[in-house]
Amino acid sequence: MGFDFHFALASIPTIIGAIGATLLATVLSCIGASAIGFMFEMIRRGGGALGFAVRFLIDFIRSTPVLAWLYFLYFVLPVYGIRLSAMTVGILGLSLYYSGYLAEVFKAGIDAIPKGQQEAARALSLSPRDTVIFVIAPQMLRNIAAPLGNYLVSILKATPYLAVLAVPEMLGRAFDIASETYRYAEPLTVAGILFLALALLVAYSVKRIEQRLLAPGRR
Amino acid sequence: MLAQAPHPISAVESLPLVRIEGLNKWFGAIHVLKNIDLTVRPGARIVVCGPSGSGKSTLIRCINGLEPFQRGTIQLEAITLGNDARDTARARRQTGMVFQSFNLFPHLTVLANCTLALRRVLLKSAREAEEIAMHHLTVVRIPEKARSYPAQLSGGQQQRVAIARALCLNPRIMLFDEPTSALDPEMIKEVLDVMIALAGSGMTMVCVTHEMGFAREVADEIVFMDEGRVVEHSSSKDFFSRAAHPRARLFLDTILSH
Amino acid sequence: MSMLDILFGILQGLGTTAEVTAYALVFAVPFAIVFGVAQFLTVGMTRFLVTAVIEFWRSSAVVVLLFVFYYVLPVLGVTLSAMTVSALVLGLNTGGYASQAVRAGLQSLPAGQREAGMALGLSRPAILLLIELPQALVAMSPTFVNNLIQLVKATSLVSLVTLTDMTFRAKEISQTEYDPVAIYSALLLAFFLVCYPIALAGRWLEVRVNPEKGLSRGI
Repeated sequence: MGFDFHFALASIPTIIGAIGATLLATVLSCIGASAIGFMFEMIRRGGGALGFAVRFLIDFIRSTPVLAWLYFLYFVLPVYGIRLSAMTVGILGLSLYYSGYLAEVFKAGIDAIPKGQQEAARALSLSPRDTVIFVIAPQMLRNIAAPLGNYLVSILKATPYLAVLAVPEMLGRAFDIASETYRYAEPLTVAGILFLALALLVAYSVKRIEQRLLAPGRR
Repeated sequence: MLAQAPHPISAVESLPLVRIEGLNKWFGAIHVLKNIDLTVRPGARIVVCGPSGSGKSTLIRCINGLEPFQRGTIQLEAITLGNDARDTARARRQTGMVFQSFNLFPHLTVLANCTLALRRVLLKSAREAEEIAMHHLTVVRIPEKARSYPAQLSGGQQQRVAIARALCLNPRIMLFDEPTSALDPEMIKEVLDVMIALAGSGMTMVCVTHEMGFAREVADEIVFMDEGRVVEHSSSKDFFSRAAHPRARLFLDTILSH
Repeated sequence: MSMLDILFGILQGLGTTAEVTAYALVFAVPFAIVFGVAQFLTVGMTRFLVTAVIEFWRSSAVVVLLFVFYYVLPVLGVTLSAMTVSALVLGLNTGGYASQAVRAGLQSLPAGQREAGMALGLSRPAILLLIELPQALVAMSPTFVNNLIQLVKATSLVSLVTLTDMTFRAKEISQTEYDPVAIYSALLLAFFLVCYPIALAGRWLEVRVNPEKGLSRGI
C-alpha cells in the first residue's frame, strides 16, 4: 500500500482545524489543575484530618494513570446523573490528574520563600491577607513560573488522550479521517508531527516568557 | 556628642516605654530565656550583647511579638503583649524591626518596600506614602536608589533601606537584630553611621550587636546575656571599665582583642 | 461480581502490564545512559543531533507516538508485534526523560572529580565509567524512580493497541458487567497498589541519597 504523501498533505488542513479544541483543552485543563492544585496545597498546609486526607488523595492521583481517570469520570459520573460533554469530562480529568502534580509545584514555590519574608511582613504589621497578596503570592508566582510552564507542555501532550472519549481534538480528527478512508498511517503521522511541533513551540514560548519574567534586576 | 533627645526625659522617666518582667521562654524542652527583667525608658539606647545562643535575638523578637513566650509579662507603654492577638498587633505597630538578613521584599522596588505598610497598614494615599518613604530614604542617604530592586543593591545599602522601611511606620522604638552581622566589613560602617544618626535624633533603640565600638560610642546601657539570663546590666561606661561578671569580662576580652 | 472479584479480574492483566514495563526498560535504560552521556560529552553539530533525537522521543505526545508507530511501521514493511511496538515507544519516551536526568547528574558533579581522575592518570572513558557515572546515577536515582512510575502508568495505553493489560481487562469486564463505579474504582486501585510501593521506595531512596533535602516527595 505504501505511504501516500499526497494523502498525508491533504489531511493536514482537516487535522489542523481541530487545533482549537486541543488548545482549549490544554488551557482550561491547566487553569483547572492550577486551581485544584492550589486548593489541595492550602488544605494540606492546614494539616489536621482534612490535610491528611488531601495528602493521601494527592499520592493516590499521582499513582494512577490519566487514562484510568478519564474512563472513571466518563463512565461513573452518568451513574450519579451527571451528564457532561466528552470535552468537559476530558478537561475535568486532566485538571484532576495534573492537580496532584501542581499541588507539589505550589508547595515547592511557597517553601522556597525565605521565612524572613513572612517575619518582615509581620514586623511591618501587614495583615495575614495582605501578607499573602503583596508578599507571598508574587514571590510564589515567580518561583512556580518555570515548573508551571513545563506542566503546560505536559498537559498539551496529554490532550490526545481525550481522543479515547471521542473529543474532536487533533488526534481524534486524525482517527476520523482514518476510519473514513481506512488509511491510518498518513493522518496519524500528520497528527504526530503537529503535536511535536506544537509542543516544541509552546515549550519555546514558555521559556521566552520565563526569561522576560525573571529578567535581571527584577530578581 | 550626640544631639539632645527631643523627649524631655525627666517628664516621662516614671513611664518606661517597655517593661519586661519575669520573662521565660522555651523552644520545646530548651529553656532559652530565664526570668528576664528589663526596662527600656524612652530615648534609651540599649545594646544587648553576649555569646551566640545566649538568647539575645530571641529576647528582642519577643518585644515585638515575633516570638511567643510562655511566662512573664512584656508591656509596651500601656499595652500588654502575649494575651490578646489584637494587643500584640497594636504593640507591634509601635515597634520597628531590622533583621540580620535585611528581609527586603525582592519583588518590590526600594520605594515599594517602604510604602507597602504605609499604604496597607496606615492607609496613606499613594502620594503621601511616597513622600514619607522618600523622606526616610533620604535620612538613610539612599534616595537615589528608590526605583531599584533590592538585588541591585549592596548589602549595606539593603540594610539601610530596611532601616528606612522600619522608620516609615514612625515607631516609638527600633529593634535591631544583629544588623551588621551579615555584612562585608567594608559595608558595616555605612550602616552603623545611619544608626548613630538615628540615636542622635532621640530614637529609642534596642540593638543586638557585637560591634563594641558602636556600643561604646552610642549605647547608654549595656545588657550582657549568657545562657538565657541577663547577667550584667549597667551603664555603658561601667560595663567597659569594670564589668563585674566573669563571663562578661571574658566576652569583652575576646571581642576587644580583635 | 463483587468489587473484590472485579479487582482480581483486573489484576489478571498485571502480567501484561509488568511485561510491557520490563520490556520497555530494555529500551529505556540503554537509551537514557547512552544519550545522556552523549549529550554531556559532545559539542557542536553532534550534540545538536543527539539533542534532536532526545527531543523527538520526549517532546512527542506518547499517545500519538504509539499510534503512529503502530500504524506506520507496517506500511513501511516493518511488522512488529503490538508488544514490541508498545515497549519500543514507551521505553524510548521514558528513556528520553531519563536521559535528561543522566545529563543533569553528570553536569552537577564538581569538576574536581574529573580532574582528580585525570591526575591519577585515568583515561577519559575510565573516568566516565568509574568516577562520574556511578555518582551521577546514584544522585539521580529518585528521578529514575519517578520515571519508572510514569512508565508503569503509561502502559495503560497499550490497551488501545489490543494488549490485555489491566486497563484492557477493566474494559472487558465492563462489557459483561454493568457496574462502572466498581470497575473503574478497582482499576484506579489496581494501579495504586502497583505504583504506590514504588513511590514509597523512591522516597526512601531520596532520603538515603539526599539526606539534607529530607522529605521531598516521590511519585
